Amino acid sequence: MTDGPLIVQSDKTLLLDIDHPLSDECRKSIAPFAELEKSPEHIHTYRLTPLGLWNARAAGHDAEQVIDVLLKYSRFAVPHALLVDIAETMSRYGRLRLEAHPVHGLTLVSHDPAVLKEVTRGKKIAPMLGLQIDDETIVVHPGQRGFLKQALLKLGWPAEDFAGYVDGEHHEIALREDGWSIRKYQSMAAEGFWHGGSGVVVLPCGAGKTIVGAAAMAHAKATTLILVTNTVAARQWRDELLRRTTLHEDEIGEYSGAKKEIRPVTIATYQVMTMRRKGVYTHLDLFDAIDWGLIIYDEVHLLPAPIFRFTADIQSRRRLGLTATLVREDGMEGEVFSLIGPKRFDVPWREIESQGYIAPADCVEVRITLTEEERLNYATAEQEDRYRFCSTTRTKLKVAVALARQHADDQVLVIGQYIDQLDALSEELGVPLIKGDTPVKERERLYNLYRSGEIKCLVVSKVANFSVDLPDATIAIQVSGTFGSRQEEAQRLGRILRPKADGRTARFYSLVARDTIDQDFAQNRQRFLAEQGYAYRIIDADEVLSKDSD
Amino acid sequence: MSNPTISFADELRGRTDDQIAMLFTLRPDLISPVPTDITALAARANSMPSLMRARESLNKWQFDILTTICALQEPVSLVEIMSMTSKEAKGAVQALWEIGLLYLENERYRVPTNIRTMVGEHPAGLGPQSNKKIDFAELEAAPKGATEVLQRMVWGPPKGQVADVKKAAPNVRWLIEKNFLIAFDSQTVLLPREVAMHFRGGKIFKDMQSAQPLFTGVARKQKAADLAAIANISTFVRWAEELGHNWSDEPPAALKTGGLGVRDLKRTAEHLGIAENCAAFVAELLYIAGLIVIDTNDQILPTSTFDVFLTRTIEEQWHSLAVLWLETSRMSGLVGKAESKSVAALGPELDRGGTSALKKLIVALLVENPEKDPALDSIKSVVKWLAPTRANDEYVEWILREAEWLGITGQGAISAFGAALLKGDDLGIEAALPKPVDHILIQADNSAIAPGPLTLELANAIGTIADIESRGGASVYRFSEASIRRGLDHGQTGDQIKDFLKKISKTPMPQPLEYLIADVSKRHGKLRVGHNNSYLRCEDEGLIQELLHDKRLEPLRLRKLAPQVLISDVESNELIIALREAGYLPAAENATGILISAPTVRRAKTRPKPPRVITDITAPNPTLITSAVRALRAGERASSHKPRDIPRTTANETLDLLHQYIEERASLTIGYADTNGGVSNRLIDPLSISLGTLVARDHATGEIAHFRIPRITGVSPAN
Repeated sequence: MTDGPLIVQSDKTLLLDIDHPLSDECRKSIAPFAELEKSPEHIHTYRLTPLGLWNARAAGHDAEQVIDVLLKYSRFAVPHALLVDIAETMSRYGRLRLEAHPVHGLTLVSHDPAVLKEVTRGKKIAPMLGLQIDDETIVVHPGQRGFLKQALLKLGWPAEDFAGYVDGEHHEIALREDGWSIRKYQSMAAEGFWHGGSGVVVLPCGAGKTIVGAAAMAHAKATTLILVTNTVAARQWRDELLRRTTLHEDEIGEYSGAKKEIRPVTIATYQVMTMRRKGVYTHLDLFDAIDWGLIIYDEVHLLPAPIFRFTADIQSRRRLGLTATLVREDGMEGEVFSLIGPKRFDVPWREIESQGYIAPADCVEVRITLTEEERLNYATAEQEDRYRFCSTTRTKLKVAVALARQHADDQVLVIGQYIDQLDALSEELGVPLIKGDTPVKERERLYNLYRSGEIKCLVVSKVANFSVDLPDATIAIQVSGTFGSRQEEAQRLGRILRPKADGRTARFYSLVARDTIDQDFAQNRQRFLAEQGYAYRIIDADEVLSKDSD
Repeated sequence: MSNPTISFADELRGRTDDQIAMLFTLRPDLISPVPTDITALAARANSMPSLMRARESLNKWQFDILTTICALQEPVSLVEIMSMTSKEAKGAVQALWEIGLLYLENERYRVPTNIRTMVGEHPAGLGPQSNKKIDFAELEAAPKGATEVLQRMVWGPPKGQVADVKKAAPNVRWLIEKNFLIAFDSQTVLLPREVAMHFRGGKIFKDMQSAQPLFTGVARKQKAADLAAIANISTFVRWAEELGHNWSDEPPAALKTGGLGVRDLKRTAEHLGIAENCAAFVAELLYIAGLIVIDTNDQILPTSTFDVFLTRTIEEQWHSLAVLWLETSRMSGLVGKAESKSVAALGPELDRGGTSALKKLIVALLVENPEKDPALDSIKSVVKWLAPTRANDEYVEWILREAEWLGITGQGAISAFGAALLKGDDLGIEAALPKPVDHILIQADNSAIAPGPLTLELANAIGTIADIESRGGASVYRFSEASIRRGLDHGQTGDQIKDFLKKISKTPMPQPLEYLIADVSKRHGKLRVGHNNSYLRCEDEGLIQELLHDKRLEPLRLRKLAPQVLISDVESNELIIALREAGYLPAAENATGILISAPTVRRAKTRPKPPRVITDITAPNPTLITSAVRALRAGERASSHKPRDIPRTTANETLDLLHQYIEERASLTIGYADTNGGVSNRLIDPLSISLGTLVARDHATGEIAHFRIPRITGVSPAN
């Protein structure tokens, strides 16, 4: 027994004892092939998944290395069956290759005729394939590159794509590092992506994913299509690109509900791409409008399903996915892997936090006791109304206001889901509210005021969840949220995790009504945040209110 | 073939007691039951089933030599055998003689007749002797294609098909004419033995391996192998427990044909997080061990033996399963194989004879070659050499796979525990298991990690207040509202839980967990539920009071729950009887509303009935062999007298003769009538006569027996 820092469980989870002297070394060794599942204070949990192992294969690690690492750091003997399983899984990646054949075009190649035979027997796969040239080579129908990769992954035989990319139309793009410089991990991420060809870069919120995108564009030096979640995000990408690169305003187009510009660098929203008229996607032509050399997907974990389908069609173009998490709530991780590409770069949140690029956060759950009357009303409310009821109680409003007042000197965001509640809060606090129907212009004006510090407090609905850059928010107060979704939690935390000038700790309050369904959701939130390694504590609303009366 | 001048039985008769004993040791089937005499022994030793058994114990070298002898003209001298094979044949020939597959006739060897049938019509692919003149020089002038025909038939089979011998192609016709081929019937030609031997260059086999092939493999450190094996052992035992628990919760339904359905197997495999073939293996072993059974209603359920199993130490659990693995004739590797889809785990089609012997052979091989993870091809060829009739490449693979799952091996090499199991030594598993830990680490996400195996007490204590989330070397527990509530249900208070956790946790208790415990314990018990078997209600509160104070009703232990309701622990029918006896007039009420349910742990009603095990006949112990040889010799002497008719004597003559022989202390043969009147001859040493009975030692049994004088039909001296 080596007394190492790692415990390998038979359910393929790895427990890393981070108080162990070798833990750092071990973390670095296992990071390439194991997915970090949670990172609370003492023991971090990693998981071995086929996708993770294949990601490692794609990054050039082989099974022997993986097994060596496990054996080296493991505290207890590792079950042999697990090692065999790892070797078996990893050996599946790359057994099939997609290659460009000088005569036959796209071909599926394997040096293992048995595997080739097995996959070609599949009902779904057979129609995508054409003539078998020899024992090891089969022609793939043009246009099936993406669908074939998807189908092969489902069969457990992920194909390595060596079919290459089109260069796209050349366009000069370079980074313009005046007054700022690209961080090391950002340039490593861009390079990792470029050498891999296509793939996903995983960086926490606030770690500067836009710059990674810009750096990738500088590598490609080609026309680029950027797909983002919404219009605000599109504008931010544009601003950022103008600031960080040699691109000029007339080189960047916005393709959204409002504008339909097609320029060498075009930023389009998911919404407009998935817009349908009479069942037909009307804006698909954009993918062919220019001979794109690079396609960037922002927030890959939110990529809508139809976009995957379009993506399958454009496999010969370089694709870069950017995200804070590979976890998709719809479980479509496999699609990301096969269609956009394997993970090319990954740094855990904590590592970037410790480098000072994102602020440490302190999560506080404020427990609110409902009044007798509220409790009775809650008890008698219809099941479907209960969540709304408990998360919008009058008492909660009182506490939120008190909290916001206590932090009058900080940049505060009050976040909620229910518009009535937000209206009331905005009125009570006397601060502006940003919600779905706030015009983009007005939103930007308010954000600018907030950034400059003229406004200290903003009330926002969930529209603010994604891709809004609010650099100086130090306090977030969440009054209500949709059913404890992990995604949303990560995004909200992302809001306040941008680095603070003075290194202050950001604080994330969530208000929870005691003994209600709200508290159940809070438990999910607590688990998620604690798993991510954030300090989490619970205080009583009375503490807040008594402080207020002082 | 010359006619033998001596029979197999005659030769056996000439063997010494030690040699016969050796024969019994090598061929245990000959001793059960003990043959009456040498003739019977020879007949049995020459019987097909016994020969097949004997053949199974031969290695490839011995078998090839036996085949060689069959291909030669009997009797064969050792020199001849060695010239056809190699000098090393001497030992093998001796072994073949010892096991009774050869016998000697004037220093030359013969085979018992049935061996030819067993070896087959064409030993080593050689056809019959032609006994016609064959001139090999003529081959020089052979027509085109003739030699090719011969070449193709040289290494067997020696049979060739033609459309019609009479209209055969010119080359074949030429070969027949020149006696190089024999026309067997109108469509078959045979290659005569002499021709084949000519082309084989005087050898019978292309190449014979006189020594066991090399056992090769990857070198492993014994320590590493043992470590890996320990991981395998603890994992396997956990699988076994998990599977039992899982099937208790969701019992699979047995197929109509018996056995476990593919879907249930898949589900189980997913639950355990292992491959299906591994799940089938675990299920099979539990089934063989009687830990699970197909119940009368076709549900597959754990038995009460499983409960006993759970209380055992890992070493005991493992031992009970591993021993069965070695012994069982069931081959779980057959489950779900592509070619045999219908073969189900726990089904009736898994028995394969010789499995156990093959397992023992393989494990023994691993023990002989420690610190080695065998190369598959190497161990397959070794097995094929050692046991050519039993070897099956697939079985070898499966057995190695199962040995690894079980922890007989670790990293492919034999573990100390596997070796000890084979030898029957102390296993020493408990000492090798990782030291139990006595603490946990609690984290802010309401999980707790025991960084090693917990002591049983701690594991049980934590198990009541937390759910297990991940198992392996360590255990991950999760605290939740439900798990804390379970702890409170077990009678702990919130403070006790907190104190307990603070005591065993190496890390400070996270504040949110304290909140959780406080929250749950605050709400716990607001609603009170009690247990009672019957209730009694009455709108007349006065009557209720009267009942409460009625001395005669005291044994019923009535308790007042509300002004108009009493409850009691006795069953409602007993309550009614008691009330009636005391003179009240109660009426039974339809029982609705009160439901008491407890979690049911399902167990089969039937007794464990593990599938039967086809075992090999085990080697008899020396005492048995010695007595068998003695009985055989006695039977021999008796039968040698049998041919002689014993002259009938009258009762008086008999008595006189007996007295005479008792004095002479001579052995006698007597005719003795049994109760049915049948007369048999007995060889005896008379001792005394009393009360019309002769007391004598019976040679056949070696025991003192009583013979009634009137039943003795005749007496004559032995020899």
